[in-house]
Amino acid sequence: MAIVSGVDVGSLCTKTVILNGDGEILSFDIIRSGHYYQGAADESIENALKTAGLKRQDISYILGTGYGRSSISQADSEVTEITCHARGAKKLFPEVRTVSDIGGQDSKVIGIGEGGIVNNFVMNDKCAAGTGRFLEVMASALSVDIDEMGKLYFASQNKLEVSSMCTVFAESEVISLFAQGHMKADIAAGIAHAIARRIIGMVGQVGLKDEVVMSGGVAKNAGVVCAIEERLKVKLSVAQEPQIVGALGAAIIASERV
Amino acid sequence: MEIKYKVNRLQTTNEIRPLVDKHWADLRTAKERGEKVAWASGPSFIFAYAMGMKCHFMAGYSAYCGGIGAGEEVLKVAELAGDLPESCSYHRLHMGMGEAVARGIPINPQAILPMPDLMVAGRLCPEMSHYAEGLNRRFGVRVLPIDLPGPYSKDDMPRIREFVYRQFKEVVIPTFEEVCGKPFDYDRMSEILRILKEVALLRNKCWEFFKDKPSRWTLWDYGVSIAPVFYLMGNPAGITYYEKLLKELQERREKDIPAVAPDGEKYRLYWDGWLPWAFLGKFMRKFIPNGAVVLCGRYPWEFFPHPELIDPEHPVESWADLYYGMESHLTYSFSPKGTIDLIGELIEDYSIDGLVMFSSKTCRVMNLAQPEVIDVLDKKYGVPGVIVEGDMIDSAMISDAQIETRLQALFEMIDGRRKRK
Repeated sequence: MAIVSGVDVGSLCTKTVILNGDGEILSFDIIRSGHYYQGAADESIENALKTAGLKRQDISYILGTGYGRSSISQADSEVTEITCHARGAKKLFPEVRTVSDIGGQDSKVIGIGEGGIVNNFVMNDKCAAGTGRFLEVMASALSVDIDEMGKLYFASQNKLEVSSMCTVFAESEVISLFAQGHMKADIAAGIAHAIARRIIGMVGQVGLKDEVVMSGGVAKNAGVVCAIEERLKVKLSVAQEPQIVGALGAAIIASERV
Repeated sequence: MEIKYKVNRLQTTNEIRPLVDKHWADLRTAKERGEKVAWASGPSFIFAYAMGMKCHFMAGYSAYCGGIGAGEEVLKVAELAGDLPESCSYHRLHMGMGEAVARGIPINPQAILPMPDLMVAGRLCPEMSHYAEGLNRRFGVRVLPIDLPGPYSKDDMPRIREFVYRQFKEVVIPTFEEVCGKPFDYDRMSEILRILKEVALLRNKCWEFFKDKPSRWTLWDYGVSIAPVFYLMGNPAGITYYEKLLKELQERREKDIPAVAPDGEKYRLYWDGWLPWAFLGKFMRKFIPNGAVVLCGRYPWEFFPHPELIDPEHPVESWADLYYGMESHLTYSFSPKGTIDLIGELIEDYSIDGLVMFSSKTCRVMNLAQPEVIDVLDKKYGVPGVIVEGDMIDSAMISDAQIETRLQALFEMIDGRRKRK
């Protein structure tokens, strides 16, 4: 069986997954995409090959996905991140019916039917609200890093409401909450719920069906995961490395195309 | 092996541009010939035509500006004059044109129209009120507002039909008589309707070729052929145009020539919402390489889909019936239930594989409930859909990558379902 690779060039990070002939992950890699997507893809593939102890000629097929998918010169073909996230989530969580992917600069909710096919989806790629970028701006306003922000959620005694949907206005709102003397943890909890609110609206459009998988970099923020769980009233399934779900899906489709 | 799809262009559609250009050239020079000019939104331009006035129609002008590539520069003037970029781009386009003339800002001369002696504002949405008010406040245009309510169900139709008919008879016609200083010309209105009926009957025969597998033409071909059933109504050249188009489509069927070479389409699509007038080519270049053709849509189907109901002997009554009669689904197709009914019919009639719901950022009349419409139709017909955001003419509202991803995802959803079967 052939060794294949999936490469997901997202707006913030590029992810590569290499699968062996049995569909097992041999290696993966995550790097910042920067401004040169083709270079990021080449570098990420190289990193993943090195980790797996493989050479480029060992890979039979590379499938590209993500917003920069058309920039991957090594890719044999490309598929949208919507289909790839569905396939990746299905592989990791066979009972999945809904995927919520929050990436660097977009968020999407995907309804999944039998066999892991996409039934429907909604995307927010028009504004930063409810994306990783929103979280980064808010972390900067709070003067904490993203990891710490996730932990702060659980220290909150009095969750505040951050009502602004716009990232710029929300940042001003956070600063004014500080000025009013509110605790950092309470503001962080309010920010997590602001993202959750945005995602819940998208889940409502697609239709909530359990099991719900959360993928993308924001799934590493335990506070946001918890806020979404509270609002959805369901437990989210999060992969050990949620950022590579799309690349994993791409690799699975690659294995079917060899 | 990967198939290289390419569009087989129709010859007849090349003949529409001179007709359209003449219409707008006549309008531009009407005042120089001492002719009266009207502007209209909604179904009121026929009354101006019946009175021999040159008339401009709101969406028609926008389509024309999109076609001649003048949209962007005119919209920029509107922005300069303080019009909000989130407001209706049709509205902004007209304000921008007026402001360009008033301020002496050079724009494409083909986009410049004379200010009207009367603007009939058929209010289909709140923005049309602002449009009419803006014309009056900023340029001193005389405005006649009329209301064109949307029905919720078919039960509403007789009541609204009577309401609209009375506005035509009691307000619109007397106002045109006053502006033109002569009695209303019912005979000319009958003649316009007779020609419209003939053109639309021919057009309906052409629609049948969308049902062929593979289809013989695309919705975009029809999009550029809309003028004869729209603002060129009453012009006998429309009959000649559609006779030629019908003949060409018949020849294609006989010779088995598809709209998309080499062997026809892979995906048959429905298009919801306004046509993206300034971006027809952009979308075409996204559909065709994937073997996708758009075959039908709610907006293009609003141009008198039941011409057999046109009764030239009773012109005003017939005009009201075309929009609000129980047999005509023209305004009903904008209601929640009517939308579902019409798209459902189109899915079945034209063997549709997927729905592209075009969601205009600056005109939301047709956007409402699009996610629910997809959901309901998917459950009933097993046809997936995507929402593609954009605008009819404003490129600031169009993102290539976002459109690309959504369309590609739609094709992947269709493929996924085909494999499952």
